Amino acid sequence: MALSPFASRSPSMTVASPNSALRLKAAASHHVPGQAAAAKPESKPERELTEQLNDDVRRKYIKGALEATAPQGTIEFSLRLTDRIGKKLGEGTYAIVYLGHFRDDPSSCVAIKKIKVNAEYKDGLTMDAIREVKYLQELSHRNVIALHDVFSSKDQNLNLVLEFLPGGDLEMLIKDGDIHYGVGDVKAWMGMLARGVWFCHENFVLHRDIKPNNLLIAADGEVKLADFGLARSFADPYLNMTHQVITRWYRPPELLFGAKQYSGAVDVWSMGMVFAELLLRVPLLAGMSDLDQISKICEAFGTPTEENWPGVTQLANYVADKAVPVQGRDFFLRQFPTAGPVGADLLMSMCVLDPRKRATALQVLQHKWWTTEPRPTKNEDLPRKSGTKKMGDDLARRGGETDDGPFKNAARQLDFGAMK
Amino acid sequence: MASKNGIDRRDEDEVCPVCKSSRYLNPNMRFLINPECYHKMCESCVDRIFSSGPASCPVAGCRKTLRKNRFRQQTFEDIGVEREVDIRRRVMHILNRREEEFDSKRAYDDFLEQREEIIANLVCRIDVARTEAQLQAYAQENMQSIKANQALEEQEATSFQKKILLEQEEARMRQQIAREEYENERREQQATREDFLTRLASGSAADAAAIAREGHKVHLKKSSARRSEEDRIRQKQAALRGTEVKRTGTPLTAADTAGATPGAGLIKGLRKIKTPEPEKPYDPFMGLVPGKRDYYTQLESYPYAFLDKLRSDTTVQAGGYDLQEYYSRTLLEAFAGLGCFVQEEVAQRDATSSLGMSKPASTEGAAMAAVGKNAA
Repeated sequence: MALSPFASRSPSMTVASPNSALRLKAAASHHVPGQAAAAKPESKPERELTEQLNDDVRRKYIKGALEATAPQGTIEFSLRLTDRIGKKLGEGTYAIVYLGHFRDDPSSCVAIKKIKVNAEYKDGLTMDAIREVKYLQELSHRNVIALHDVFSSKDQNLNLVLEFLPGGDLEMLIKDGDIHYGVGDVKAWMGMLARGVWFCHENFVLHRDIKPNNLLIAADGEVKLADFGLARSFADPYLNMTHQVITRWYRPPELLFGAKQYSGAVDVWSMGMVFAELLLRVPLLAGMSDLDQISKICEAFGTPTEENWPGVTQLANYVADKAVPVQGRDFFLRQFPTAGPVGADLLMSMCVLDPRKRATALQVLQHKWWTTEPRPTKNEDLPRKSGTKKMGDDLARRGGETDDGPFKNAARQLDFGAMK
Repeated sequence: MASKNGIDRRDEDEVCPVCKSSRYLNPNMRFLINPECYHKMCESCVDRIFSSGPASCPVAGCRKTLRKNRFRQQTFEDIGVEREVDIRRRVMHILNRREEEFDSKRAYDDFLEQREEIIANLVCRIDVARTEAQLQAYAQENMQSIKANQALEEQEATSFQKKILLEQEEARMRQQIAREEYENERREQQATREDFLTRLASGSAADAAAIAREGHKVHLKKSSARRSEEDRIRQKQAALRGTEVKRTGTPLTAADTAGATPGAGLIKGLRKIKTPEPEKPYDPFMGLVPGKRDYYTQLESYPYAFLDKLRSDTTVQAGGYDLQEYYSRTLLEAFAGLGCFVQEEVAQRDATSSLGMSKPASTEGAAMAAVGKNAA
């Protein structure tokens, strides 16, 4: 989820330099969108201008407190719910998410993500917060979560004011057996995802953590790309990037092989995995470890070799155990009959091993699958979540851990309380 | 006609106004009317006058041309009522709009009133020519909707008939079951009693009390068992009936929606039938234009020694790194902001902004221009 930059984080994380943390403090007051022209009260000259601006922003929002005047049934419902449990939408190791609203408009909800001061980063803030602010404030698109404002509170905590998305995430929909959806719905969701990713790439931002869990759903059904805690800009020559990004199941082979220079193709692979998961309702390649993930990819799509991927053997972590021929079109047709032949073609183009031959986000959107029948479902007709899981729920997970693995539901299954 | 034999007595001295023959002489005489003029005459007169084709009405002063095939027996004794019913039927046949076709209850009521007015006009011969013309024009214009509504009405009528039949059948079945049940019970009682008596007769005197008790118990058990069995059957039948009713009910709703067609200048307040606008083809980009560059065109390659090593590095290539992206980004950043007029955007934002939302009015250009510097 957007509000959980630490959920399912890769173990190796670049450490924030004190320099960038300092810059961010300035950003908290300076780079606030649309605040430049705000009234600057000159009455207290003893205070710094940045502090005044910061206070102006801070005063615009009210954390938690809410009136029962919410317009929509769903929103009001979730408001009541959160009201009861203390206006907190979720809490994690590094951040707490509160529900808030504009001071002058109680019905417009926002999610306020308060970054905790962490022992690990005594002299600054976590990279995730910096990345999230840095990229989100520059991206404004229907399918990217909106960052309304940034301010710091009394105790030097950074607060991100984010769009409130009450509709849960795609993972919930995939896992909820009571929800049935068809190709039209998948097409609508994938379209929104592809648009968001394309927009990021067009602005040279890599998301690097695309998975159903990070695709939040707005009240109107729109899917929004969230959690930019791993995002970064790309295309810089000679600049190494970490390959320890993207949740394993959605990680492309070039990252698993340790490539240090890569492109938007990594996000496209993740999109392909999300597409397959939407069709199958289970993760397509659920590797237990990075090596297992590689072998699963080889089994499913074929083993990368010098023939189908020139230069692959020179990648740092290249391994190849057994040679499986690269899967052709009929494999995708057989494996994903629900997508139809055109959809299978699109999926195949997103799952090409060689990142240079993989479709770009632009090519994905230009594919003819979008215009073939059935037409993508309208937002208002898309299936909705049935439960009451809230935005920020998964913040309760610690950074770096995901709820996969063989025993993920063990605690729930061994419920002896019910045996009385 | 209050008296028991009123009809007979009336018929006795009824006289055909044309041939003056009376029922007294010809007990099988039947009177017919023609809805053109509603003059009554006997069957033999009709045969005699109209057998050789259309002729004018034989009643003095009536010049209407009548045809034999339109002659029929009258339903109501009062010719006025007969005529009104005919007119009503005809008008209702044409003005057969249904309530669901109207915008509001009020509009529907107005329509009903209008229809009654037309009928009254025709019955009382007020403004007949104009009313008839209106009616004809309406019928011409709304041929389709009239037909559709007629079909609908027929369907409703038949389904209603079916329902009635079904209900009758059910009632009959219920009666029969009840009768059989009663019969069975009676027969069984008889049998047990006989059995009981024979056993008493054959057994010793000491067994008598035991036999009597046992017989009583068996009887009770049987009747309760039978009752539960019958309940089960009855429930099954009820469920079956439920589904059948549902099945007959469904085609109606489907036809309801088909009944609506546009038109009608005569009738006001008809619901506008919205022909759904043809959906625009799905735009995967939702309005944004991919690859739009206003100020430059990107070349395949730019000579730059700094990048030469990168071009030949297979490891970098294998990772998916694409120099084209670097070119594209560099050029975009170089030209970003051109053509963005902040003042205009601010003015636009101030004009449109409500709610005091603080999002900047970011146009495509501004968003595209907003590219971060590299971090991490």
